[in-house]
Amino acid sequence: MASHGLTYEGCNFLRQRLVLSTLSGKRVKIKNIRSKDDEPGLRDFEASFIRLLDKVTNGSTIEINQTGTVLVYQPGLLYGGTVEHDCNPQRSVGYYLEALLMLGPFMKSPLKATLRGVTNDLTDPTVDLLKSTALPVMKKFGIDGEGFDIKVRTSWYSRGMAPGGGGEVVFTCPVRKTVRPVQLTDPGKIKRIRGVAYSVRVSPQMGNRIVESARGILNQFLPDIYIYTDHMKGANSGKSPGFGLTLVAETLNGCFLSAEMSSTPQGQGDPILPEDLGRNCAKLLLEEIYRGGCVDSSNQSLALLLMTLGQQDVSKVLLGPLSPYTIEFLRHIRDFFQIMFKIEVQKPLEDERKGGDKVLMTCVGVGYSNISKTLK
Amino acid sequence: LEMDGKVKKQKPHQQKHSGPKAEKKKLKKQNGSTEEDERKRNPKAFAVQSAVRMAKTFHRAQDIKTKKHHVPVVDRTPLEPPPIVIVVVGPPKVGKSTLIRCLIKNFTRQKLTDICGPVTIVSGKKRRLTFMECNNDINSMIDLAKVADLVLMLIDASFGFEMETFEFLNICQVHGFPRIMGVLTHLDAFKNNKTLRKTKKNLKHRFWTEVYQGAKLFYLSGMVYGEYQNQEVKNLGRFISVMKFRPLVWQTSHPYVLADRIEDLTDPERLRTDPKCDRTVSLYGYLRGTHLKNKGQVHIPGVGDFQMSDVNFLPDPCPLPGTQKKRALNEKERLLYAPMAGVGGVVYDKDAVYIDLPANHVKQLQEEVRPTTELVQSLIETHVTLDAKMAASKVSLFSGSAGLDPTDIMQEGLREIHVWDPHTQTQRRKVVFTGDEEEENDVSGSSSDEDDDGSDSDQENQEEDDDLSTFLKEARAKSEKATRGSTPPVKKPKLEEMKGEKEVVTEAPAFADSEDELEKSEADSEGEGEAERAGDSGHCSKESEEDSEEEEEDGDDESMEEEIGFMFNFMLKNKLFSFLIPRCDLSVGTLKWKEGLQQKASAAFLRHQEAAPNLRKLVYGSVVEAEDSEEEEEEELGGLFRVNRPQKSKRVQANALDCSHFNPDISHNWDLEEMLNSIRDCFVTGQWEEGQDAATLLKEDEELYGDFEDLETGKVHKGVTGDESDEADDEDQQVKMDDEEVQKNKRLEKKRRLKERFDTEYDDGDATYFDDLKEEMQKQAELNRAEFEDMDDESRVQYEGFRPGMYVRLEISSLPCEFVTNFDPHYPIIIGGLGTSEGNVGYLQMRLKKHRWYERILKTRDPLILSLGWRRFQTIPLYHIEDHNGRHRLLKYTPQHMHCGASIWGPITPQGTGFLAVQSVSGANFRIAATGVVLDLDKSVTIVKKLKLIGYPYKIFQNTCFIKVHYI
Repeated sequence: MASHGLTYEGCNFLRQRLVLSTLSGKRVKIKNIRSKDDEPGLRDFEASFIRLLDKVTNGSTIEINQTGTVLVYQPGLLYGGTVEHDCNPQRSVGYYLEALLMLGPFMKSPLKATLRGVTNDLTDPTVDLLKSTALPVMKKFGIDGEGFDIKVRTSWYSRGMAPGGGGEVVFTCPVRKTVRPVQLTDPGKIKRIRGVAYSVRVSPQMGNRIVESARGILNQFLPDIYIYTDHMKGANSGKSPGFGLTLVAETLNGCFLSAEMSSTPQGQGDPILPEDLGRNCAKLLLEEIYRGGCVDSSNQSLALLLMTLGQQDVSKVLLGPLSPYTIEFLRHIRDFFQIMFKIEVQKPLEDERKGGDKVLMTCVGVGYSNISKTLK
Repeated sequence: LEMDGKVKKQKPHQQKHSGPKAEKKKLKKQNGSTEEDERKRNPKAFAVQSAVRMAKTFHRAQDIKTKKHHVPVVDRTPLEPPPIVIVVVGPPKVGKSTLIRCLIKNFTRQKLTDICGPVTIVSGKKRRLTFMECNNDINSMIDLAKVADLVLMLIDASFGFEMETFEFLNICQVHGFPRIMGVLTHLDAFKNNKTLRKTKKNLKHRFWTEVYQGAKLFYLSGMVYGEYQNQEVKNLGRFISVMKFRPLVWQTSHPYVLADRIEDLTDPERLRTDPKCDRTVSLYGYLRGTHLKNKGQVHIPGVGDFQMSDVNFLPDPCPLPGTQKKRALNEKERLLYAPMAGVGGVVYDKDAVYIDLPANHVKQLQEEVRPTTELVQSLIETHVTLDAKMAASKVSLFSGSAGLDPTDIMQEGLREIHVWDPHTQTQRRKVVFTGDEEEENDVSGSSSDEDDDGSDSDQENQEEDDDLSTFLKEARAKSEKATRGSTPPVKKPKLEEMKGEKEVVTEAPAFADSEDELEKSEADSEGEGEAERAGDSGHCSKESEEDSEEEEEDGDDESMEEEIGFMFNFMLKNKLFSFLIPRCDLSVGTLKWKEGLQQKASAAFLRHQEAAPNLRKLVYGSVVEAEDSEEEEEEELGGLFRVNRPQKSKRVQANALDCSHFNPDISHNWDLEEMLNSIRDCFVTGQWEEGQDAATLLKEDEELYGDFEDLETGKVHKGVTGDESDEADDEDQQVKMDDEEVQKNKRLEKKRRLKERFDTEYDDGDATYFDDLKEEMQKQAELNRAEFEDMDDESRVQYEGFRPGMYVRLEISSLPCEFVTNFDPHYPIIIGGLGTSEGNVGYLQMRLKKHRWYERILKTRDPLILSLGWRRFQTIPLYHIEDHNGRHRLLKYTPQHMHCGASIWGPITPQGTGFLAVQSVSGANFRIAATGVVLDLDKSVTIVKKLKLIGYPYKIFQNTCFIKVHYI
């Protein structure tokens, strides 16, 4: 039984490739990983990610050559259960969580993953953002139920800013046999904006300063704005100081658009004033609203994946402009599942003041069913 | 009668006219308890006697009601469904081929002598049927049970049930139950009417217990001239053509093709040097089940797993008639397509057209060469006009690799079949039930195997002739249709060139003496068109002869063509988007309406492209470019060192930071007022759409609910109706005519909304969850149908995959040579698509039960042949049972009458899939050893086994003893 593998080059989009490989059961080989770099091969955070993947699957084989420039991954079956993982602090927990969100619903037993490390940093979506945007997206696909949650707070500590980390996140996800098709073509109007201004190991005043400046901008549009301040002290506050803001706009039809920003890690780059951060973050949210769509830019690929894995029915979703990451993801979906999306650009009408071009993505699902789940 | 007089007349009833009873009755009559309903007239009798019983009856009623519900599924049947697969099964000599022949004759008025491979016919305006005969081989039975929509189960009534029948029923049960219709044959063997009735009844009831109570059992009473009685066949045909089918889980979730044609495309040179080399084979058939993705993985039962190297869809060789309103099909529409049986005439390939003729005909025909051009020319025209895609393409000679013709391969199979003589080799396998043993014996005593269908062979030659003539007639008819619609060919330079390329025509000797046939069919049908066409074709052939010199490079093919004798290849070089070829108008002179279609399609396509400013290309198209750019030359210095240049942009991207973050557009300055204004309407505070505006909604509400009467004061409030205000406005704007239109639309809209509200209020009141779910599925089904409807097929298959109902050609490279060399069209070739990760292997945990009719119990580690999903494979099962503490304890043997667990290493197949096991495919007794269902898939499995180890103590502490064990 020949299982035909796929071959890629370079370390970029490693997560996509491994996740899709796991879901489709196709072997994947990645060559030339930083082969011309001064430090060739996989980085620690990638190795950590592969280790996490190994923990949630059963029977996967991973081969890495001596220099770490070639990776061969033969996926096993998704196992789930209780998993604890110390994420490498080079990347935040969001990096790992994004992949787990894609795999979570297709495990053998419900996943309860405890991830430790950096919860908020600049490069990856923070845990707060994923909690407030990714989960509602998945709920639209019928992945819902008790214990579907991302918790940032456990008994010991919760938030950990870059570079030290020291935060803990618990992601619990129920198991689904199939994913249902969706028609998300109308995002509706934004009815409220919520947010969290967090600060750890800094003055508690920081939170209030962020909130004030962010509100200053957003109040021009909407009165219903509430930004929580979340200040952590003592053991809960991780290892490094920092602060940041996550903003989420909720529409009438239950779509969530979000933006976030956090302070530069201690000792790296120029420090940023909380007022500036608040303002900039609010502007980022406006940018996100300008892009629009039913799914915000960081979750586009998650939504597209779930559409692909849906029943053999037509799914539609309206997105903002496709991010480069999403475009690459679409190509990967075609490689792994032979699914092509119908991409239609919807230009705004003349007198419409609803931001830029939207993209309507349509596809027929592959009729994926969770092969790991046990039949009783 | 005499007795009547003696019977004592009884005293009639005297009605009382007075007294208390009469009074009571009178009162009753007056008060007029005219109540018809007994419940009301006599409520006491229907009073609740027992609350418990009432609850029970209610429960029962509800149970029965809910039992009728099935989980609603989305109806994914395509608009033009594939032909229905009718599998005809039964033990040998029961009359399977005869039945198929009769049904085909009933539907198409054509006679088919040899039923060989699937036979597809058009049976009605909306239904096509594919008949497949299942021979007496358990592998065929297993494979066909998986693809059957309807099973005609033939039972020799004179003999009773045979083992094959029950085996097949059990196979069906495991792999999803298709519709099963029993057909009793050999009923004329009964001389005694009473035994006939009795046998019928017995068989019927036994059949019912196996299928379901009331399953249809059809009786074919006897043969007339080696065929079943016309009326009975007609009735059976009617049953088939109105039959409804239920969707089966496996079939609806996997694409599959029952191949009706195969071609070996392997390079002849390679074949010559290495006859055992892997073959490249193209398989043809209707796609069924669900959408098939190009380059997907498939399994061919009996052969193995393969990746398809290419999939194309071809024009339907056996299309449904057009959608004109009429009651019945005319003769031309009753098509028959059976390439493996040598019927079907012209076959369109991706890049060639084949005209199949039986080999013996060719030999006869080869002598006369002269009049061929006419027919062949007409055939070519047929193919040009039939199909828009082909019309747009260029016709040229087929170069080089002519595929092996299916008839070629078929001959090999035929030889083998002649060796096999059913009369001598058949071993009838009688089923004996303890209950009706005696009767069975009676029946079997009276039955005999003497009934033979030798009469067929007498007719064979004659029938074959008929076949050809009908085929020619058909071809003729088609060409006539084409020429009638067309204008006489105008001399266009390009057209000529094209005809030049079709130049094989003149050389071809095949249709040499077909003329007389033609004349016959022609004489009564048509006069004038013929002359015109004859003129055409002659003219064209002349032209083509002239042009033939220009096309010298194709000359070598012709000789090959002549050698093959009965095969013509017309290569059509199709472009992917045929309508984009600028030359599309050259060949379309024949059919004007198709030209229009093409233009429309191309216009639509262009419009789409414009709408999406290359976003699709950006996503899917650029990959090719990227791959091109990857070929970078590597310079070496002195053969030892390589120059490490700064990485190219592409490479940088390949090793860039893996991050889903989407950086914002820097050009947007959110401090500017205009930028802020550009998103104002995204908020609830912004401007709303016309229909959803709060003001509009309020006004509507006012119109709907504005009128009310204050009951306390008696004052009537009138809502401000839209009409009033409109009337006022009308005076001002009477000039505008289209204003009225707007008003009308508004009123309609309002009406619709009112209706909607009414519906939601009153209809949905008692809508259950089930109803909602059903409605949801219905909506999804509509959306599925509508979404890609207006697309052309070429781009549609990219998004959807190939949809069921299409006639597809699957190319598979690296098939083992035995597949081709041992090909026998009597065995089904099924190409079953595999879902995601169904091509992988792992441990399967299954629930298994030994079949109660199988005599032996099964032993752990004894090899077993499993039929699971599309596959049949041998594996080594471990049987186990779950203990109370949840562990799986190994069993040495399967329990006698109980389920047990079984673990195998095998192909990953979705949970809930049924399987059956046989120990050997041959054998006299009931062969199905076990059945079961897949429960769990994993890459590791834990089964515990109790061990007894013997040893002696070698160290003893106070309460502890270490024992040394001798391993055996």
